[in-house]
Amino acid sequence: MTKTVDSYRFLDGITSRMMKHWATLGSPQQIPWSPLAKPISQCTVSMVSSAGIALKSDQPFDEEIERRDPWSSDPSYRVLPRTTATGDVRVYHLHINTSFAQQDLNCVMPLERLCQLEALGEIARSAPSHYSYMGYTVRPDVLLRQTVPAIIGRLRQEQVDAVVLVPV
Amino acid sequence: MMPDLTQSVGVSRLAAIEHPFGLTLGLPGDAAGQLAVLRATLRALEEISQPGTAVHLPFEWETREKLNVYPPEAPPIARFLRRHPWYLPKFLNRTPPEISEPAAS
Repeated sequence: MTKTVDSYRFLDGITSRMMKHWATLGSPQQIPWSPLAKPISQCTVSMVSSAGIALKSDQPFDEEIERRDPWSSDPSYRVLPRTTATGDVRVYHLHINTSFAQQDLNCVMPLERLCQLEALGEIARSAPSHYSYMGYTVRPDVLLRQTVPAIIGRLRQEQVDAVVLVPV
Repeated sequence: MMPDLTQSVGVSRLAAIEHPFGLTLGLPGDAAGQLAVLRATLRALEEISQPGTAVHLPFEWETREKLNVYPPEAPPIARFLRRHPWYLPKFLNRTPPEISEPAAS
């Protein structure tokens, strides 16, 4: 039986209505498209997470930006090496329960699972670098003008063939 | 997770999953489940041939465990809108106030 995902299953009534309204605001535009140039088994794959994940050795995401001004958020990104494990990171996100990701990073950023697929030959390799940013972004200007181009530059440098964007 | 919203902004390809927020790939420790979701996502990446196509992954979210998927405190925007409900139209229409407008407290 074919499944149709219910976008609103885990939302309360008010938030559901809000999200349904947001879904009507998407501006029609040309959908970006790059054909996959080779089988996934020959691809270098990277992942980008909106969970606000940072290495403990790296600068934390600044949650105070959002606490001071609820329309703003930290627009920066962090790099997560392919071998990053759960104990290496902290998760900074004010809209979800981050304890699941803190118990097991693979819940939101499956780095270990991607390495497993590499070991099984199902992908060529997990890219050296993966990325995370804070997903609550009402003012996307800096994210779009600075963060995204910076991530794209690094993806190209590492000759990544495919990117999986993982929401939370 | 919210394919309606994600498709509305024109993503290239979409693998939709019916999992709670904060548990995109599955429960902590469920390595087999997480691997299955990731594998299915990459399969969708390989199979989608038309821009904007959404593949609805077949995984059912069923757990007897009562999970709290909400953050320990309400997000700042939720608290702000409760105190300043007149800003709700701006939030609904994704038109935040100008930076110079006071928004704190």
